[in-house]
Amino acid sequence: MDAPLYLRPRVEPPLASLLQDAPFLHALCDALGSPLNVLLPEVVAENAERFRSVYRRHHLAGRVYFAHKANRSSALVRRLAACDPAAVGIDVASLDELRHALGCGFTGDRVMATGPKDRDFLWLAARVGATVNLDSAGELEQLAHLVRRHGLGRVDVLVRLSEFESDAGPTGSGTRVLSRRSRFGTPVGRSGEVWEALERYADAVELTGLAYHLDTTAPEEKARALERCVLLMDECRGRGLRPRAVDIGGGFGVGYVDDAGEWERWTTALSEAVLGVRPSLTWRGHGYGLRNEGGTVRGTAALYPAHRSVAGPGYLDALLSRPAPALGRPPATLLLEHLNDLYVEPGRALVDQCGLSLARVLDVRPTEEGPARHLVRLGMNAGDVSLEEHGVLVDPVLLPRDGGGDGRRPEPSGGGPVGVHLVGNLCLEADLITRRLVYLPRLPCAGDLLAFVNTAGYVMDFHAHRAQRQPVARTVAVARGEGAWRWCPDEDYWPLTDPQGVPS
Amino acid sequence: MRYDTITEAIGNTPLVRIDPSVHGLRHIDLFAKLEMLNPFGSVKDRPAWFMARPHLQQGAGGDGTVVELSSGNTAKALALLAGMHGLRFRSVTNRMRVPEIKELLLLLGAEIEELPGQSECLDPTDTDDPLTRFHQALSEPDSTYLHTDQYFNPRNVEAHATGTGPEIVKDLDGRVPDWFIACVGTAGSSTGVARVLREHDPRVRVLGLVADKADFIPGIRTIDEVHQVGLFDPATYDSLTSVTSQDAIDGMVTLIRRCGLLSGPTGGAAYRGAVRHLESVDAELAGTGSRRTAVFIVCDRAESYLSYVRRRRPELLGAARRGHSAAALTDGEVRAEGRAVEVGEARRWMADGDPRPLVVDLRGPHAYAALHIEGSVNIVDELFEELVRTGLPFSKRTPVLLACPVGEKSLRYAALLTRMGHPDVRSLAGGVVAWRDAGAPLVRE
Ligand SMILES: Cc1ncc(COP(=O)(O)O)c(C=O)c1O
Repeated sequence: MDAPLYLRPRVEPPLASLLQDAPFLHALCDALGSPLNVLLPEVVAENAERFRSVYRRHHLAGRVYFAHKANRSSALVRRLAACDPAAVGIDVASLDELRHALGCGFTGDRVMATGPKDRDFLWLAARVGATVNLDSAGELEQLAHLVRRHGLGRVDVLVRLSEFESDAGPTGSGTRVLSRRSRFGTPVGRSGEVWEALERYADAVELTGLAYHLDTTAPEEKARALERCVLLMDECRGRGLRPRAVDIGGGFGVGYVDDAGEWERWTTALSEAVLGVRPSLTWRGHGYGLRNEGGTVRGTAALYPAHRSVAGPGYLDALLSRPAPALGRPPATLLLEHLNDLYVEPGRALVDQCGLSLARVLDVRPTEEGPARHLVRLGMNAGDVSLEEHGVLVDPVLLPRDGGGDGRRPEPSGGGPVGVHLVGNLCLEADLITRRLVYLPRLPCAGDLLAFVNTAGYVMDFHAHRAQRQPVARTVAVARGEGAWRWCPDEDYWPLTDPQGVPS
Repeated sequence: MRYDTITEAIGNTPLVRIDPSVHGLRHIDLFAKLEMLNPFGSVKDRPAWFMARPHLQQGAGGDGTVVELSSGNTAKALALLAGMHGLRFRSVTNRMRVPEIKELLLLLGAEIEELPGQSECLDPTDTDDPLTRFHQALSEPDSTYLHTDQYFNPRNVEAHATGTGPEIVKDLDGRVPDWFIACVGTAGSSTGVARVLREHDPRVRVLGLVADKADFIPGIRTIDEVHQVGLFDPATYDSLTSVTSQDAIDGMVTLIRRCGLLSGPTGGAAYRGAVRHLESVDAELAGTGSRRTAVFIVCDRAESYLSYVRRRRPELLGAARRGHSAAALTDGEVRAEGRAVEVGEARRWMADGDPRPLVVDLRGPHAYAALHIEGSVNIVDELFEELVRTGLPFSKRTPVLLACPVGEKSLRYAALLTRMGHPDVRSLAGGVVAWRDAGAPLVRE
């Protein structure tokens, strides 16, 4: 066998200590079935605090809005609702998310409504005093009509802008930055229409800020957009509007793989496998978007950059600290000097290390390619943990049934690293948990658990479906009690010192 | 030397011996091929001219645009060549991360398009890759783009096989060096030179240098990225090794300070890579009485990489600053010596003071223009730092109120000016933010 190419997950406390308690996780899965999602609501609050500390370092005011779409959990939303109202809000992108947020304890003034909105969503947002993050002049008109017709109060709105790259405004620094096309936001070049609409409907809406959300990992593009927004804020003030905040969206990233070297070796090996100079690393030689054209690798790898040295709050800090392209001063300084608050909408980064997805090993057998590659069938399918959907490559952690692996009991025999393909419980050739050949420290046995770590951001339940009547993952929230982990169903969690109802 | 056009000055670059007391190799003569002395400043002058010549001769006088995916040197040469022929030049890249190079290209008249970063929220089915869109635009029926295609164009290799390689052989009196060392970007120079050297003598060893995967060296690729280069063939190299940006800068500093060669980072990387590789060979040669030769390429010059060096090794550029500096004060000194006034008190002082204080706003000019305290003057903190370095910028008889966003920077300067002997400098507590929050008036320009 080739040397194992691991992509071991980054696991930080308290997730690390939860993983050490294999008997607890086995007991949970025995009681609630496989697959099972486990969440640590306390961590989401700690992550929010890390973002807040970046604000403090730069003397910035404003809120951290959790992008609800990252996970449908109640526990996470309720835990965030219990944070300082001035510091933490929630970004909802559908009527149901809005209802959920309100039901979990967020008051309307802490809610930001984003994404495409229908009338019901707009009405409820306006009714409860949420801030509406407007996608277009059309949406503004629709909102204004609702406000007038239903006698609602004046609604706070942000205007979401896009297409900063084709902008010939004062930050044009001579070069043009191409971008992926986005369906969201109003192109900066057409913002004039929105300002006029804002003035026309001044009785119904009040501009409280400007927003953007760029789907990119590159800080250059974000710094450019941020700087442009700061200048546009002044333009708005010049027109008599009174915006206060710049909302820079999300996309701060998460590092899934712990070791940069593992990630570099694996991605290099992928190119080599695509060129045919080493054995395939994937199911049937899948190239993740790379292909071999006459000995040259073409295409781009559709992979999430799984090892990231700077992510989450660190990325925000770096973004705020690098010089802006035209004015040269760092974005944090610009925001502060221009008296702007900062809003961010992290999704994935705010639920970093907040949970894991458990799957029971159902069956293990060798493949026709020989004993070096086994098929491991799990009580879970690709819809339960959408690693492929999001291009996230990371190894699961093996939790043996007999309690080995925590160092307290001897490892079962037959050890040694082994390459396995993880297949799901659907009768579909395509149902692979990941297309990657996964190396485990030893061959698992039926009854063992595999824990996919750090799945709370998008990966846990984004696309779970009921098509084949396979059980959909239940979700539980866990907290460290006195000497042991305690748990309750996600829907029963409330951020009180004792979730089980004993008065504290 | 007398030429009709600058393109005639391309090529025939010198081969210069590196002093053994610098590299320390006792049995190997190490030579630098100074491609940086080409007229546009780099090794890329040759392939740029070789690839573009047929296009330019056809397209001259038309309204065409030469396009290339280039982060620097090829773009520089092509921009100049296009300009000489009345054409436009556009560079498309996501690798142009050195600001001076960007600005230099703009000066040369290039249009620059930067490719966006990777998607954060991945859609594996997305086919809307900007580079694909770019290639589609190139192949549209009546496009006027002339694409030189340096990563796939065999004329890139040819330029070196007919120029760089033979020149090395000629300057070594018809012999071939025992080692040839080159950084790999498009693989054009290394492939072209290697081919010619091997034809002369197949015993030549070729060492290719790529950038360490997690690192960035402008102009060259990492081991993964070279696999995307059409001209790259692993068989060209006897070995491929990686170099870091620290190697590149170390090597560059040695070539500059010890050899008088104004090399850029890849020249430095090639030098470091060469010496590291040759050290063990040199040890084996001890006592055998034989001598060997090695040649590496210095691709371009240092001047465009100052900010690259500043980011990675600031100590190489900045002698410690002298004079008064706010940064030199400790937090304790700032608290002890800086005087702050609350918004209300400040307003009274500004209204009734005799004489009234001069209000200095330390924010950036755009922020100041957008909203400021009436009657204040704007001296941006960076400029203020320079002003106070050499002495007090205000008369001691003029009281001064300093304002910044939250009152932190201004307090530091208030402490410094107090220490420099000004009797009445105060800082606006809480800064312009507190002023606004107290409802005090701010005006626009
Ligand atoms: C500064 C610099 N060094 C080295 C190289 C590598 O040269 P080649 O493309 O011929 O491999 C290049 C070209 O990309 C370059 O611009």
